[in-house]
Amino acid sequence: MKFAYTIIYVDDVPSTIAFYESAFGLTRKFVHESNLYAELETGDTVLAFAGNEEAEMNGLAILPNDPANPPSGWEICFVTDDVGSAFKQAVEAGCTAVSNPNEKPWGQTVSYVRDLNGCLVEIASPISTDS
Amino acid sequence: MRCGPIPIPAGYRETIVTPKSSRHVDAYWSFIAKKAGQSVVLPDGHCDIILEHNAVGAEPPTPIITGPATQPYTVQYAKGDCWLGIRLRPGYGVSVWRQKLISASDTVLRGKEALTLLPALNDLQERNLNLENLSKITEASTAVQIDHRLALALEALHVSGGRMRINTIATMAGCTARQINRMFRANVGLSTKIYAQLVQFHRALRLVHSEQLPPASAAFECGYSDQAHLTRAFRRFGGFSPSNIPQDLSQPELFSPNVRFIQD
Repeated sequence: MKFAYTIIYVDDVPSTIAFYESAFGLTRKFVHESNLYAELETGDTVLAFAGNEEAEMNGLAILPNDPANPPSGWEICFVTDDVGSAFKQAVEAGCTAVSNPNEKPWGQTVSYVRDLNGCLVEIASPISTDS
Repeated sequence: MRCGPIPIPAGYRETIVTPKSSRHVDAYWSFIAKKAGQSVVLPDGHCDIILEHNAVGAEPPTPIITGPATQPYTVQYAKGDCWLGIRLRPGYGVSVWRQKLISASDTVLRGKEALTLLPALNDLQERNLNLENLSKITEASTAVQIDHRLALALEALHVSGGRMRINTIATMAGCTARQINRMFRANVGLSTKIYAQLVQFHRALRLVHSEQLPPASAAFECGYSDQAHLTRAFRRFGGFSPSNIPQDLSQPELFSPNVRFIQD
């Protein structure tokens, strides 16, 4: 077994992809012509978005992500050496700030934002392993 | 209400209209009876505009307009009976029924009553009976804009399998639960609660019937309090129990409004 995908169900796949490009500096791998599925270039573990209606088509039921309600109980975390700049870029691109970058007792700098769909995104520095 | 097997309506076709955001119609469908029989129509909360006629008979076609259904009903047909239908998107029922929508649930208007409600249907009897002409006639009659908050609420109910709470939906739509309920009654013709229960039922039916999930698991996944609760919903909306689903049940994807094409 291998962890291969994180797929987030969203209202509007193309605008979410565009948002992730401008807010987090990622690039798109592909957007399906139906506009109901797209992947970002994230290496071995794919971050993908699917239209909310895909859930219904697959017989699933989900609680749609919504900026006006509390976020669902999970987050995605991006790691960068320059948390301050990444946080600033994300907020300028339209993310809602949840907590500003601050240094944790274990030496990691951590910040949180919510994306255009209300999903929780952590922007943090890597945890140093050689201390 | 009925029990017993439901014959697959051979000759049933439907085309789902896409893209979702640009349409007033969920599907165009037609049904031609190759032999006499009957078919059970599961309630889906939509309104349909239908023309019924018999290919071999000389009778003029009968226009039919249905209100949003909350109960299964049986349609009897003779060999050669044909239906052409337009299934309006939920929310657009009001464009045909107007203020009468409030009391239109489980109502079927035939002939003169249907013509009185939608006089434009008169024109069709002079023309070729095809879906294109029916859609042209009804297009103008159904051209209303639905409130984006209602559209959002409908989407939320479908996506969540009918499980999202009305208060959560209201927060999402930026209005009150009362306003959502009022829009449902006025535009869909059903209460928000009944509509949610229909969505929930169709999903549970799919899980039990198509995905072969045990009823107890489906009850849990679909948000019923227990298996008995699910069984009551099946009896109420389908007329059968979960352990006795007709094997040849035909299940048009009424509650997957974004599927591109459904065929045979």
